[in-house]
Amino acid sequence: MQVVQALQQALPNTSVLTSEEACRPYECDALSAYREKPLAVVLPENIDQVKRVLQICKAHQTPVITRGSGTGLAGGALPLKEGIVLGLSKLNKILKIDPLQRIAVVEPGVRNIQVTQAVEPFGLYYAPDPSSQIACSIGGNVAENSGGVHCLKYGLTVHNVTSIRVLNMAGEEYVFDEKDDGIDLLALLNGSEGLLGVIVEIKLKLLPKPEAAQLVMAAFSCVKACAEAVTAVLQEGIIPAGLEMMDRFSIQAAEDFAKVGYPTDAQALLLCEVDGSHDQVQVDAQRVAEILTGQGAYQIRVSQNERERTALWQGRKNAFPAVGRYSPDYYCMDGTIPRSQLAYVLEEIAKLSQKYDLRVANVFHAGDGNLHPLILYDANQPGQLQRTEAFGCDILNLCVDVGGTITGEHGVGVEKLNSMCHQYQGDELEIFHGIKAVFDDTGLLNPGKAVPTLHRCAELGQMHVHKGQLPFAHLERF
Amino acid sequence: MEQTVKLLAEQIQQARHENQTLQIVGGNSKVPLNDTAQVLSIQEHSGILSYEPAELVITARAGTRLQELQQVLAEKKQMLAFEPPEYGNSTIGGTYACALTGPARPFRGKLRDYVLGTKLLDGQGRALSFGGKMIKNVAGYDVSRMLAGSKGSMALVTELSLKVVPLVEEVTYRIEMPECEAIVLMNQLAGTSLPLSGAAYYGGYFYYRVMGAHPKQTNRVGVEAVDNQVWQTLNPFRPKLPPGQKLWRLDVESTTPCIDGTIAVGMCGSRRWVASEHKPEHPYVTLWDERFLPRHNDGLGVQKIKQGLKKVFDPYHVFQDL
Ligand SMILES: Cc1cc2nc3c(=O)[nH]c(=O)nc-3n(C[C@H](O)[C@H](O)[C@H](O)COP(=O)(O)OP(=O)(O)OC[C@H]3O[C@@H](n4cnc5c(N)ncnc54)[C@H](O)[C@@H]3O)c2cc1C
Repeated sequence: MQVVQALQQALPNTSVLTSEEACRPYECDALSAYREKPLAVVLPENIDQVKRVLQICKAHQTPVITRGSGTGLAGGALPLKEGIVLGLSKLNKILKIDPLQRIAVVEPGVRNIQVTQAVEPFGLYYAPDPSSQIACSIGGNVAENSGGVHCLKYGLTVHNVTSIRVLNMAGEEYVFDEKDDGIDLLALLNGSEGLLGVIVEIKLKLLPKPEAAQLVMAAFSCVKACAEAVTAVLQEGIIPAGLEMMDRFSIQAAEDFAKVGYPTDAQALLLCEVDGSHDQVQVDAQRVAEILTGQGAYQIRVSQNERERTALWQGRKNAFPAVGRYSPDYYCMDGTIPRSQLAYVLEEIAKLSQKYDLRVANVFHAGDGNLHPLILYDANQPGQLQRTEAFGCDILNLCVDVGGTITGEHGVGVEKLNSMCHQYQGDELEIFHGIKAVFDDTGLLNPGKAVPTLHRCAELGQMHVHKGQLPFAHLERF
Repeated sequence: MEQTVKLLAEQIQQARHENQTLQIVGGNSKVPLNDTAQVLSIQEHSGILSYEPAELVITARAGTRLQELQQVLAEKKQMLAFEPPEYGNSTIGGTYACALTGPARPFRGKLRDYVLGTKLLDGQGRALSFGGKMIKNVAGYDVSRMLAGSKGSMALVTELSLKVVPLVEEVTYRIEMPECEAIVLMNQLAGTSLPLSGAAYYGGYFYYRVMGAHPKQTNRVGVEAVDNQVWQTLNPFRPKLPPGQKLWRLDVESTTPCIDGTIAVGMCGSRRWVASEHKPEHPYVTLWDERFLPRHNDGLGVQKIKQGLKKVFDPYHVFQDL
């Protein structure tokens, strides 16, 4: 292949992988049911090399799939047979830390946790903390607009990035900065899933580490009461740093795995963390405990020290692998719903679980309405993967129908293309394609991801475009 | 489609056929009117559509008065975290279009950080909907955040969903000190666990505002508690200047040392208000007139992208450029 030769000539030997074996780890991201071997994997060591790669690929009309750490859960970094994978893991330097200004400038391959580790001596940290933070890259975080347990209070990636450097397919460089005037291109690039440009440098906002944090754990014998308790806390004017809910299956799995003292007889468990100054945390933790008791929690535990607090989190943080132990494979969904719909949605999911004859565990970023149902299946059993995907799709449609969205933080990738047809109509999709074309008129940057073609949606029958007229265009969708 | 939206859409389509340019106007409090454009007013399209305090979300039509919105929120002990400046008669649509944020920005974030969804009419009069009412939503490009700051040049925003936060008690303190020392001190304080929601320098004093329960401040030498008025003085900032002097808004790195001609430092050091006859040499400078004008300092590449995006939303150039 000419393009591979050109890349080999332009980059050091070790930076272009072509053999089946060397490429294997790059064949998929964390949505491993989808795999593809690319023409080559290139691992440039600096921005100039990234530019060269883009120019060469542009000249050869070769698609480029940018990849950070490959922890994405939606197939965003899935290779194309006729494309190359642009892996940014070697661009892994923290370029600048300014403790007084409370910012860090990093290359895209820097792992999320590295930032917090590097700035810890200054009493600072980087707030967005996806569960994958030991592995996932900051570039990937920006491309997905990733969230974490603390995003109700401290925001998503988009709220914590103040400037980025981006390359287009011609290798031309752009800076999008929070100081820019007019429309907010920095916001647009967050969550653009590698379709609008390659992010090569990121300036991050750092926050002072909270002086104190306390975790309140509350057990409920009924899901509805637990959901209402979440509402009660927020209504009282407390914004917890973390507010997580688990259903019975998740509680039992997590306890079995981490042995942290979760009440396994509970139908729902709430973990509510408050942080801030010593004074405020004392007031808030007490208040939260009172509210939750008032809402019918039958058991309350308030962490008395750091050790206890971290221990209580361990169960929740390991919920995915814990549930995963019960089954060869699991499939993680990422819908978002209005909190008021939680009890209803969980009931419906339970019905679907029976219909598809697949078990499901639910963990929920309750504070911001982000639901992660984990569907258990066995890919080696014929038909199970298809059934799982159909089940997942039904869950996402359910989320949209109650006024929510198909993805809160994992992105659309290839996984949720069909669900996008359910969430958006033809005109909006057309605008999305228009935006893509402005940034990438070659269409070579991560093609086929994130935004379905109108044709695909029409085929699915979700949408019948007739002379540009949509049926029921007057119906509210949110 | 709602009747008022339908009427607005018809006006857009008509303008397109007659090759008219439209200037979208909310409360007419910020952007100067342009003689060559026809006014498209969103004042009639007002009212709060849904507000559930426990969901921390409010949805309102674009013509809703900012004051009305804030009052409704205050009744439920909530507020807009980005503290938009009140120029008198402002609408929430106009506020969004200008994307102005108050003194808490370095601590609580800016307007677009609180935008969850928008409904809009594009330059073809098509009704579109982006985002929603969810705090987390990464389906599709984030058009509703992108259009914050578009100043009516891309689309007519008809409806907005915003994240709201609990109303907090805030106390302001001040210390008399030189500006250069204040700039360092405000950055230092912002790196501690003191829950700040404002830090500024004005009239010889360093002012800082603290939220909620916090350690006693006035036992430190030179610190006095004052009322919260100074934040209104700075937001919007409309000083009386001697004839010939102009007001310039500079957006800088927060630790930038003193800049000549500065009459106020806002946003924990990242904003400088400079009074001078001539434009200060600086990458992010805006002339801050009585009225609100754009800056136009994008590089060629970014200009091209913005022009391209304008075409996506407004292919026939119905909405006035700014
Ligand atoms: C166990 C586990 C837990 C997780 N928990 C969370 C969680 O709590 N919250 C959450 O939000 N996500 C979570 N995720 C998902 C995933 O970790 C995030 O989406 C993460 O941001 C992906 O980063 P990455 O570096 O691995 O990106 P990749 O998977 O390599 O890429 C993701 C997408 O971004 C694009 N991309 C990557 N880098 C760049 C760049 N520099 N420029 C342009 N485009 C780029 C890719 O093309 C792709 O579309 C989890 C995943 C796992 C496996």
